[in-house]
Amino acid sequence: MSEQVTLAMGAGGKQTSELIASVFAKRFTSPYFTADDAAVLPRPTGQIAMSTDGFIVSPSFFPGGNIGKLSICGTVNDLSCMGARPLYLTCAFVIEEGYPLDDLRTIADAMAATAAEAGVVLVAGDTKVAGRGQVDGVFITTTGVGEIVEGAAPAGAKAKPGDAIIVTGDVGRHGCTILLARDDFGIEADVTSDCAPLWSSVEAMLGVSKDIHVIRDATRGGVGTVLYEIAEQSGVGISLDAASVPVDPAVGGVCRMLGLEPLYLACEGRLVVIAPKEEAPALVEALRSAPHSGGATIIGEVTDDRPGWVVLNTEIGTQTLLPQPGGELLPRIC
Amino acid sequence: MCVGLSAKVVRIQDGMAMVDADGARREISVQLMDDLEPGDYVMVHAGIAISKITDEDDHETDEIMEALLA
Amino acid sequence: MSEQAQARQSAAEILSSYAGPHLRIMEVCGTHTHEIFRLGIRKLLPPQVDLISGPGCPVCVTPVGFIDEAIWLAEHDVTITTFGDLVRVPGTKKSLAGARAAGGHVQVVYSPLDAVIYAQEHPEEQVCFLAVGFETTVPAACLAVEKAQELGLTNFSLLTANKTMPNAYAALRDSADVFLYPGHVHAITGTQLCEDLAEQGVSGVLAGFTAKELITALAVAVRKAEEGKPFFVNAYPRVVKPEGTPAAVALIEKVMEPCDSEWRGLGVIPQSGLALREEYAAFDARKKYDMPHIEGRANPACRCGDVLRGACKPSDCPVFGKGCTPMHPVGACMVSGEGACSAYYQYGGGVL
Repeated sequence: MSEQVTLAMGAGGKQTSELIASVFAKRFTSPYFTADDAAVLPRPTGQIAMSTDGFIVSPSFFPGGNIGKLSICGTVNDLSCMGARPLYLTCAFVIEEGYPLDDLRTIADAMAATAAEAGVVLVAGDTKVAGRGQVDGVFITTTGVGEIVEGAAPAGAKAKPGDAIIVTGDVGRHGCTILLARDDFGIEADVTSDCAPLWSSVEAMLGVSKDIHVIRDATRGGVGTVLYEIAEQSGVGISLDAASVPVDPAVGGVCRMLGLEPLYLACEGRLVVIAPKEEAPALVEALRSAPHSGGATIIGEVTDDRPGWVVLNTEIGTQTLLPQPGGELLPRIC
Repeated sequence: MCVGLSAKVVRIQDGMAMVDADGARREISVQLMDDLEPGDYVMVHAGIAISKITDEDDHETDEIMEALLA
Repeated sequence: MSEQAQARQSAAEILSSYAGPHLRIMEVCGTHTHEIFRLGIRKLLPPQVDLISGPGCPVCVTPVGFIDEAIWLAEHDVTITTFGDLVRVPGTKKSLAGARAAGGHVQVVYSPLDAVIYAQEHPEEQVCFLAVGFETTVPAACLAVEKAQELGLTNFSLLTANKTMPNAYAALRDSADVFLYPGHVHAITGTQLCEDLAEQGVSGVLAGFTAKELITALAVAVRKAEEGKPFFVNAYPRVVKPEGTPAAVALIEKVMEPCDSEWRGLGVIPQSGLALREEYAAFDARKKYDMPHIEGRANPACRCGDVLRGACKPSDCPVFGKGCTPMHPVGACMVSGEGACSAYYQYGGGVL
């Protein structure tokens, strides 16, 4: 039988040190990752941004990633959305007793690789083991610090009428992937999660213009929820061109099967960007040259009509509202 | 009342069929359908085929309009 | 312009240029309601054409007592398998989501046949499927019962609230001038009933679900209504054959029998429901678990009933958009994505 995580590994003694050494320290190699109680770090010159996020995902492995990759992307992307270059991350694990050590190693591998890609350094960590049934597999919390690029100050309240709305790729892939991976509905499709670290996309945009009003990553609740949040925060209306929202055909097929709206399925590698219309074409071009935003496209514009609402221009030339975000996503059949 | 999905039959075995809608695939019951073959299109509801579709697209509305305007 | 766009435009022109008298068109089917809102089709209609949302959302017409019955089962250690649509519908005291939070076992399935597989894989659990829906959905429930019987399962049952349309059309015949008939119900039952209704003076068009199909069906309805004679047109022939799906009709006949049925808002309509035949009593949850008679109580402020009859608009209800929203529904019409209130609220009845 393969090795498993035991309660003793979380008790703080020798076995804990061994677990950290063999699984984490070996992979999270940085001069700041030491056995001391805190990481000592050089101070950035600019303003810093800081964010934290907890990750629970079932199943913890899915096509296109795993909870480890997700936990790095989530915090890296939150920092990136503030125009901050991600610098340092910490990670805290809560692991269920009996969890396979091999899986934990795979998760740690993904974290190390994703952090390296994003140019962020893992500087500290914590490991706790909970009794069987107290957690589902493994939960990870990451906290990150980034340095804000001089002149960049995107925020949810800054959308202005006339701005263009850009999405950096097709929507709903992560949510659809997880739904399929849970196999509750017997549906198969070749869909992989869009999970990706997006600093490279933001950096590419900031190379073109600092005058970007809003950057948001469309995670839980999807692009639709983000657009409603921005409409509310900025007190503006949002006009979406339904036909221009990119959706992978298979994601569309799954959604039609279950009566779901792709705009409300989670993404883990997609940004919603709002910027002055005249900057938009150059921003889209810059995004398309970055590794994770090749599918960037303009999907609508900010208006002063109906503040707080997202209006869809339909395929038949009429206008209708995007339904407001709801609670639990439930398939609709009858 | 009844969300329907048009899907293409990929294979059939023992009253069940694998259907495909733009790459989303699912096993459904085709017990109520006669003479179904792979390549046919069916309307799917709640996991069963309720009708064999003669045209996968809604072109027929063009003929209905022609008849209406004639 | 492509031929398709041309056809759509001429259909849209027929609609917008209609100059006849006030015309009430009732879309009977909840999926039609949903698509009409989603596509903004009402905006193509002139003011004297009213689209009324009828009672064709099975979730909406299911009485409160049915949810209470399901919760009774969940509280008696029966695993509830259900379409996702029913999970948030309020019962007298709580919804199935509430029962699940309180420890009840509620499993969302895509198909009744999946519920049978679940029962087969969990022999230690008692499994009940909530059989709601019209003629389109009934065959799947019947197939599930047959499958469970074939597998010799003793832990599977149905809680039935299935409904049929013919007597509902009769009950609604004065509520509209033209019916937009539900395409998928008639994919099962065929078009004879619609032909007969036309002979009795009830007009209707059988409609599909794409933008083009809906607009075309409405154009047909408007143009034919102008001619002044009762009519029936099948505007969805690629799916609906005159004879329907005979094997499905035979299966329903074999497994179920007509019964009187309560429709939320419409009351009891004689012989408008379906229940399992005596031969299948072992699969009837009410008999299997010796359930008591449960009478539900709807929130008295909610006007779902009037909405379902087309007697009032959702926005006329005192709780619409205030106490009753999709996040916190008071009545069933606000829960289902097909519900008239939900569609009206979500797609901007108040704003656009």
